[in-house]
Amino acid sequence: MTDFLLGGPMGSAGTLRWGGSIEGVILAALLGVIAVGLAAYSGRHDRTLKGRALELVGWTMAVLVLIISLAEPVWVEASGREEPGRFVVLVDGSRSMGVREMTGSRGRQAQAILEDMPTGADVYTFGDDLQVGAPDDWTLGGSDLGAALATVADRYLGQPVQGIAVISDGLDRGGLRAEAMDPDVTDFQAPPLPGPVTFYQIGQPQALQDLAVDEVISGGFAFLRTPFILEASVRGEPGERTTVTLQREGRHVAEEPLLLDEEGKGRVRFEVTPTRVGRSAWEVSVPVHVGDAVPGNNSYPVVIRVVRDRTRVLQVSGSPSYDQKFLRLFLKEDPSVDLVSFFILRTHEDFGAGWNSSELSLIAFPYERLFSEDLSTFDLVILQNFNYKPYFNRDADGLLTNLANYARNGGALVMVGGDRAFDLGEYAGTPIAKVMPVKLGVTGPKVDGRPFSPVLTESGKAHPLARLASTPQTSAEIWERLPQMDGLNLTRGIKSDAAMLLGHPTLRVDGGPMPVAAVREVGEGRTMALMVDASWRWSFSEAAQGHGNQAYLRFWKQALRWLVADPDDRRMVVSPSKENVLLGEEVQLRIRVRDAGYAPVEGQSISGTVVGPGGTAESFEVATDASGEAVSRFVPQARGAHRVLIQAGTEAKDQAESVFSVSARDPELAEIVPDGPFLMRLAEAYGDLGAYRAHGDSAAPLLDPDATRQVHESRQTALAASPLLAILFALLASGSWWIRRREGAR
Amino acid sequence: MPAEWNRRELLTAAGAGAAALTLPGRARAFGAPSMLDVAEIVIPGTTVHRPGAWKRLLFEVIQTTSVEASPLTVQVEPEDPALFEHPFSVLVGDGPITGLSDKGVQQIERYLSYGGFLLIDDVSGTGQGQFADSIRTLCQRIFPTRPMAPIPADHAVYRSFFMLDRPVGRTLGPGFLEGVSTGPTTPLIFCGADLSGALDRSPSGQDRYPVVPGGTHQRREALKLGVNLVLYALTSNYKHDTAHVLELMREGRIE
Repeated sequence: MTDFLLGGPMGSAGTLRWGGSIEGVILAALLGVIAVGLAAYSGRHDRTLKGRALELVGWTMAVLVLIISLAEPVWVEASGREEPGRFVVLVDGSRSMGVREMTGSRGRQAQAILEDMPTGADVYTFGDDLQVGAPDDWTLGGSDLGAALATVADRYLGQPVQGIAVISDGLDRGGLRAEAMDPDVTDFQAPPLPGPVTFYQIGQPQALQDLAVDEVISGGFAFLRTPFILEASVRGEPGERTTVTLQREGRHVAEEPLLLDEEGKGRVRFEVTPTRVGRSAWEVSVPVHVGDAVPGNNSYPVVIRVVRDRTRVLQVSGSPSYDQKFLRLFLKEDPSVDLVSFFILRTHEDFGAGWNSSELSLIAFPYERLFSEDLSTFDLVILQNFNYKPYFNRDADGLLTNLANYARNGGALVMVGGDRAFDLGEYAGTPIAKVMPVKLGVTGPKVDGRPFSPVLTESGKAHPLARLASTPQTSAEIWERLPQMDGLNLTRGIKSDAAMLLGHPTLRVDGGPMPVAAVREVGEGRTMALMVDASWRWSFSEAAQGHGNQAYLRFWKQALRWLVADPDDRRMVVSPSKENVLLGEEVQLRIRVRDAGYAPVEGQSISGTVVGPGGTAESFEVATDASGEAVSRFVPQARGAHRVLIQAGTEAKDQAESVFSVSARDPELAEIVPDGPFLMRLAEAYGDLGAYRAHGDSAAPLLDPDATRQVHESRQTALAASPLLAILFALLASGSWWIRRREGAR
Repeated sequence: MPAEWNRRELLTAAGAGAAALTLPGRARAFGAPSMLDVAEIVIPGTTVHRPGAWKRLLFEVIQTTSVEASPLTVQVEPEDPALFEHPFSVLVGDGPITGLSDKGVQQIERYLSYGGFLLIDDVSGTGQGQFADSIRTLCQRIFPTRPMAPIPADHAVYRSFFMLDRPVGRTLGPGFLEGVSTGPTTPLIFCGADLSGALDRSPSGQDRYPVVPGGTHQRREALKLGVNLVLYALTSNYKHDTAHVLELMREGRIE
């Protein structure tokens, strides 16, 4: 009954607190005084003094009850109890925890440990960041245990923590493991934690069956025609025998047997000699056996960029001359050129001079070897006033065909004029004539011996080969002042797909100037015809005038550069944003197009194809912007080498290609052998506050019994809403009214 | 590498005799300006004029080698820009060099730096004396950091066409050539054995000077030296190319 009247049970140890505002109480008191005063004043003549006094007392008490009620009295009873501190569980959620072992997946092992953790534990999942709750799957990136421990330390700062449990395979990628296991670090200190920590080891090395190519060291680039080494590190079962295979863009190149050592490791070296410049995709792989934990790491793709360290030049001259001398000096002094020279020092006509062969320092001209098996080793072949007929005694047509095919297949070929060159060298009708920029087969005089000054053509003004200065204006001025040539070989004009850079000032042929210098892109290669034999004057005679030999050097340097252009220096170039791409990762294909003068080409439509492994092809169309560039995006759906082919026309100069490699190789899974020693080392670093639980050991975690927390409780009884006050107010107010009416007042 | 037929081809050609005559004749297409000739540098009162020697040398070059030469000798003063029309030049003397201007020295320096070749021949045949001293002084002016020095026996000039053991001229001289090398090339060579004396002939074809100690062999060797100097001027260190050296070593002609 008392509890009912008071609005709830009330103990004696409580305290009374007021919840109402003081302003409200004061206002209510003032109103109460006024009300009581009005009650006393009105009808004062109708009542007795005793009656009035009783009524006034009644009204005063009723008002007091009302004021007390407005002051919101609350009866507060406080109490408290002690509970253990928090328990924190950190579960490794990285992808290496999803690896399957012979005893089951690591994730399942982690779940089993998690179920044994104290009830009410705060569970977090860590990978490369920290998430609240237990992991749903094992998809996070590289695990950063150091960051996770630091976050726990911050989050529970100042709070009693009973214990911390870490459930992990120990494959920390955040740096803590590297520091802890570094033999040079003698004062390793573990991250501070608010409580004792227990490390639960997940996974065991002996339960893991994973043959993998851990790494392939290549350097990323190689030099043309220079052997380079691809060294692969393989990991698997100790004593396991396997075969390591090397492929180039899906084609088998080599394989090596391998016996893994007692640690299950082994290395294989492949020596490869690249024969073409540009990018190529290579892949080292080992077989995938049933039960292999991570099939994705059984192959290791790598893209190699092959570059020229030196331009290998073959200079063949039919006669020592000033022109040959100065060109050799230029080539020999250029450190980027590897020059092989063959000069014809004696011909049949010289045999009658009466000298004994033993007196001579001459050797045979190895023309057969040069123009067959050795030909592909050269980037550029210069036939300088060289007539082949007296020397190509065997299979002349075959050797000339070799040379023509060499040019079509990406080589560079130059013919320099003289009394043994062009039609005087009897090249008309030969395979060489077909790849030259000029038309041979002149009838009538084959030379013009009158001195002349070559004239720069419109093509020559734009072409980089003829650019002798930084500006076209200065370049043209230099060409105008250069010394005269002594004459030139006559031709029937240039071919339709060739460009004439220099022309004769007066001689005409085929509706245009007689060509003096012309270039042509033929197949994948480039050719140049220089119909004079006195370019040396651009060096020597220029020097006499105090101009130095820069014009000569620049002309031949530009010629070399243009003739043996690398894929990245061609008019059309396509470059993938990444050379090694993960399956499903977007790769950008950047395209650049330049014209003959190497200026950007805007609005050029480009058709492209990405050819994946097995010949699958995906096409795209783009157009270049004002900077001559365009970008296409591609998301590979298959692993292996992908070759990108683009074209704006049918000729080789209007096409380009590149390559990138796609792998399913997850960097997080590059290393999956659980690292128990690391977790053990970490536990040791915490001393008595650290414990290590090996795989399968699910013993309880370390707990700090003193890590307790006080839990405070209080019970509040709102007296303002209690029936007692309402009843009192009602009794006092109605009693006062009854007395008033009984005394006759109204 | 060079430029020769192998033995089988040589024998075939020699045996065929007339067949060689059927080989294409030389068109000499672009005329004299492109052909080798000799510029005699003239310093009045110092240099010696021996056009007959150079005509004989150029004739031998034409007969023996594939070089297109014009058997002409032009005389050029050191200051004359026409020097640059003739990348092969000679300077023959027998006394102290006087009257060579700074401009002349500068032009010779530029001539040699940009690819010209200068053969200096000591008429005394000793390689010593006032002319040789003057030449050494001149070389110091042209190449302050590169003194003239004996040319080693494995230098390309000794095998640029003939295999030579010892350079000789009208005299046996010091037994070696001297020169100034810039990098892999030697643009200036000094012969102390009076090479031009051994080569010089009168218009009637008679040798002007007897060789000392004498004999046909010495004059023949002098001619071979002259041919080698011309070929060296055109091919520089070509005979030091790897392919060449290996082949000559294989045949046992050099060690």
